[in-house]
Amino acid sequence: MRSAEVAERFVNWMANFFPRWANWIPLKLLLIVTVLGAVVTGGIWYYFTPKYTNVGYMPDQPAPFSHAIHVEQLGMDCRYCHSYVEVAGHSNVPSTQTCMSCHSQIKAQSPKLAAVRASWETGTPVQWVRIHKAPDYVYFNHAVHVNRGISCYSCHGQINEMPVVYQAQPLSMAWCLECHREPEKFLRPPSEIYNLNWRPASAQEQLAMGTQFKKEWNVNPPVTCGGCHR
Amino acid sequence: MKRVLPHPAREAKPPLWRSLDELASTPEFVDALEREFPQGAAEWHGGEISRRNFLQLMGGSMALAGIGLTGCRRPEAYLVPFTQGVEWTIPGKFLYYATSQPRRNGATPLIATTSDGRPTKLEGNPLHPISNGGTDTFAQASVLDLYDPNRSRTIKADGQKTDAAALAAKLDEIRAAAEAGGGEGLAFLVERVDSPTRDRLLAQLRQKYPNILWAEYEPLGASEHDAAVAASFGAGVEVTPDFSAADKVLAVDDDFLNVSFSGLDQVRGFSARRRISEPGQPMNRLYVAETRYTPTGGMADHRLRIKPSEAGPFLRALAQQIATLTGDGALASVVAAFPEGQLSADPQWIAECAKDLAASPGKSIVVVGKQQPAAVQALGFAINDALGAAGKTLRGARVQRPQSASIAELAAAMEAGRVKNLFILGGNPVYNAPADLRFGDLLAGVPVSVHLGIYEDETAAATKWHVPQAHYLESWSDARSSDGTICAVQPMILPLWGGVNELEILNRLAGNAEPIGPQLVRDTFSEVAGGGNLEAKWTEFLRQGFLTGTAWPEATPAFNAGGAAALATAYRPAPSNGIEVAFTPSSTIDDGRYANNGWLQETPDFATKVTWDNAALVSPATAKSLGLATGDMLEMSANGRKIEAAALIAPGHADDAVSIALGYGRVNISHVTDHVGFDAYPLRTTQCMAFATGTAVKRTGAKHKFAETQTHQSMEGRDLVREATMERYAKEPTFAQTMGMDGHIPPNISLFTHPKLDSPEQWGMTVDLSTCTGCNACVVACQAENNVPIVGKDQVSRGRNMAWIRMDRYFAGDENDPEMLPQSIMCQHCENAPCETVCPVNATVHSEDGLNLMAYNRCIGTRYCANNCPWKVRRFNFFDYNQRPLDKLYFGPLAKKGMAESVQMSKNPNVTVRMRGVMEKCTYCIQRIEEAKITHAVKAGPSDKSKVDFPNVKSACQQACPSESIVFGNINDPKSRVAQLKKEPRNYEMLKYLNVSPRTTYLARIKNPNMAMPGADKVGWANGHPHHGGHGEGSNGHEAHAADPHGAPAGHAKEAPAH
Repeated sequence: MRSAEVAERFVNWMANFFPRWANWIPLKLLLIVTVLGAVVTGGIWYYFTPKYTNVGYMPDQPAPFSHAIHVEQLGMDCRYCHSYVEVAGHSNVPSTQTCMSCHSQIKAQSPKLAAVRASWETGTPVQWVRIHKAPDYVYFNHAVHVNRGISCYSCHGQINEMPVVYQAQPLSMAWCLECHREPEKFLRPPSEIYNLNWRPASAQEQLAMGTQFKKEWNVNPPVTCGGCHR
Repeated sequence: MKRVLPHPAREAKPPLWRSLDELASTPEFVDALEREFPQGAAEWHGGEISRRNFLQLMGGSMALAGIGLTGCRRPEAYLVPFTQGVEWTIPGKFLYYATSQPRRNGATPLIATTSDGRPTKLEGNPLHPISNGGTDTFAQASVLDLYDPNRSRTIKADGQKTDAAALAAKLDEIRAAAEAGGGEGLAFLVERVDSPTRDRLLAQLRQKYPNILWAEYEPLGASEHDAAVAASFGAGVEVTPDFSAADKVLAVDDDFLNVSFSGLDQVRGFSARRRISEPGQPMNRLYVAETRYTPTGGMADHRLRIKPSEAGPFLRALAQQIATLTGDGALASVVAAFPEGQLSADPQWIAECAKDLAASPGKSIVVVGKQQPAAVQALGFAINDALGAAGKTLRGARVQRPQSASIAELAAAMEAGRVKNLFILGGNPVYNAPADLRFGDLLAGVPVSVHLGIYEDETAAATKWHVPQAHYLESWSDARSSDGTICAVQPMILPLWGGVNELEILNRLAGNAEPIGPQLVRDTFSEVAGGGNLEAKWTEFLRQGFLTGTAWPEATPAFNAGGAAALATAYRPAPSNGIEVAFTPSSTIDDGRYANNGWLQETPDFATKVTWDNAALVSPATAKSLGLATGDMLEMSANGRKIEAAALIAPGHADDAVSIALGYGRVNISHVTDHVGFDAYPLRTTQCMAFATGTAVKRTGAKHKFAETQTHQSMEGRDLVREATMERYAKEPTFAQTMGMDGHIPPNISLFTHPKLDSPEQWGMTVDLSTCTGCNACVVACQAENNVPIVGKDQVSRGRNMAWIRMDRYFAGDENDPEMLPQSIMCQHCENAPCETVCPVNATVHSEDGLNLMAYNRCIGTRYCANNCPWKVRRFNFFDYNQRPLDKLYFGPLAKKGMAESVQMSKNPNVTVRMRGVMEKCTYCIQRIEEAKITHAVKAGPSDKSKVDFPNVKSACQQACPSESIVFGNINDPKSRVAQLKKEPRNYEMLKYLNVSPRTTYLARIKNPNMAMPGADKVGWANGHPHHGGHGEGSNGHEAHAADPHGAPAGHAKEAPAH
């Protein structure tokens, strides 16, 4: 038998089993897989980013510390506890001693403070769960930001109203660069750095004020890799 | 018309060469060069696991890792604040303390950088009178020793673990016995440290127990020097050369430019006179007579190869000449008493050298190695006296040191059974004591022996008790620097593994109460500080790290010819027959004490470029006569003792002599560093501490493989390193800029658009080749600062060493007697960086302040950048060197993962620890630059102050450099030192014709030959005499270029017809 003949017989034989529309199945399948694949890829691309995976991260802490009570109700300044934010790269988390300087008198027996008291008595530090974390190869410096017109609010959000702290901003590189490229959109009067309720009157006013600050203070945030990656 | 880059061809016999293979252009060498990765670094040489197995394993572990999607959950991290705030400590900010490293040749004043209570980096203390802020490799690397996971951790008695209480009970028992017997049978063996507190405690002990035996031993000590000084200048005197006052220097077997073995002040003094900025300025002249190439020999204007035993006859011949020239009777009397000996050196060399030294009375000095016999050194002092050096170039001081016995006296007492309780406080005498003392055997006969040591080493195994010693960064002490100034030794951290220091043991034996904190040091301090406000003085002492005004009182050395002549008369030199073996200090691990320090083990020796090994160095001529090749195992025997070591042919070595570095071949430390190199101590006896004569040398037939870094790359006939004589520099100031191809460069047109370099700070660096001795301090400082991993011998031999600074070493001229030139090469931060254009992922890019950046998190490891780098300074992480044990790198995921916790503590928190698969290289210490910029900005705050002046930054290598050769800074700031140096005429760019515009430039080396010396015409012409015939140009030599430094006409470029 010639090969053409064999092929023809095979097609006829197949036709006995499959209707004509079945010819489109492979093509349709391919289309579905492509579309599905694109959707999945696009979904991961878009949603598996810090904006969606990290924002809102709100782990349980060893003691339910409320910024809302301490800052918003009692009016404490950020720097009472985060005392080195203006001088160091790290913004320190207060030592147990700082907590106890008030809580040895106020709410000294509160069950919520059990972990803090235990730490004070045993000398073992409280292990606060870290929320805002840049990767190891990123060197963020708090001091230079708060001293040069960037408020806590810009990165940490309305933390003064959070009963439990969560991550408010994605802290991704693209997000960092939004400000590093246009700092004028975020620069504040030096008096309002730690006033987390301060807002510019309007976007135009912010821009005018920010542009002026940027020029006067010689603000040139780095946009090259070396600014943050060392 | 296609322009062909005018690379000069590799010459058959290059004037400058890095290895003997290159000089001979062996086929193996050419083959190795022409491969993409010359060292085969990119290939798989698994050994234990094949590539196929590896992929199977990897697939399996990936599949396992996928189950449970553990990677999707965010790992929980913790913020752990202090319970109680610690004084001065600000989390994330460095704290600096002044301290010092006690050393046998005087304490090295240091500033320790601590991060959250962990010392991570050591710098020199620039406030201290002898220091310019420089350090050496040992001081830099000592911080790694602190965190060494192999350190001893437990007190042991008869091999069994015991505790501090048992030790205290034992000490009290020994004390009670000593009290009863006046100290009879109680002996101490200590290391040489000038510690006022130890001296005070010793005085107490001696008062209470007059019969104790106190012995000091340093395998590389200066007992011969002390004897020579005592005979020549009387007891209680110390003499030090002052090179800053010397116009002419002769060093005989003395490596005074190796800062590790001399001192910061000596290197600083010498380089201050070596550094010239303007053509025609005067500079000093250095004559060196030595056996093997040392950094001092590399700096020499005239170098003579002598066998170690020839130092005496050489000095005698020189002294004779000088005695005649100066008519000095005292010198003549010492010469007459000094025995004659064989000398093969050129008499003209000696005669001209003597003439030159004698021509500068009071401004010349002769220094003799401290290991040389006392009579030889005394002869050196006699010459200095004749040259009028006393009080001028040779400074004297009155010193106070407690009396101590030698190890030989201790051994004699042990042999006689007079030692019942022996304390070995530091040191490792079982390993490094003179072989004829049989110290290990004698120890067995001592009823109670206590060893205090950092490691459970050879001595710990032979003693009854072993006590872990506290590192100097963990305990309170004090020590005098070489000038006598008392320095504080402050602890930076509590003992990691419960170590104690020798002062605490001595204090307990003296029957004093347990000290609290710095009490022991403080008590001494109140004795020496004088009256006044003691508290304020103490605070100042700790703040600045030393007590001002405690230097030894100066005293003009008064030469006693009779004493020197008596030494000379009694001197019986060993007959110089057969081959001589010189025992040299190891430039990398000293006397063996740093054997477990990976940074030092992996630092290439400055001359041989061998890592993780020592070698028996022989000259090319001797190798030929013995039929040796590099790697042949040798057996060296003398007086019935023998050692084995692998030979390495070392250009510039004296003939009929072998040099071998001490300190290798250790056991009992860790599986990575045990049995590295060859132990030379078994050949060393009390009779021949410096060198053994009459040695029989034969090949055993076995072969050894060295891991050298020198042969990895070639200079390909390009003038990377440049030098000239003073005379040429005066006549032709721009010689460095017109040398080789640089006179022929056509104007370049760049095809790329380059990033704007518009920042007010533009960083740059210069390296002064005139003062760089190649001491490697920068290499280790960089390693410490930048968390550079070590890779082990196997990886180094494949060319995968990670050090960001490569200390290149070139030889020039004849292989038997070449000139040596060191050159440190790190990332040059090219403005038109070739690496940047080939990176497919933009992982290496340029910053606006002129840095060639490396973003590790972007790097995907194509290694294109390393291929395109003209300097070969990029380093690739072929393995997870930080995470896997070095001997199990090829086991992949099967090997244990993770860094020892103590090693994690040693890392600089401001520098990313790199992982497998990423490229890295010198960053110009960007972490310091950014820190300085941030500090500058923080200080300015919301004001315009950040516009005025520039942040001040020192790179780690610059800070460490003891000769101030490396200068880093802002080239935009006309006041900065680097900007001024770049304007000097001897400033040149390497490979200028590539138009990569490197930010690191070099200052050509200037030599000051004495034209009357034999061979003077070759000195300073390492690049060869200019010959322009080969470049298709007229025969008019370099004068033409002098008149026309830059404007090379286009016609000079080689042009090839288009294809």
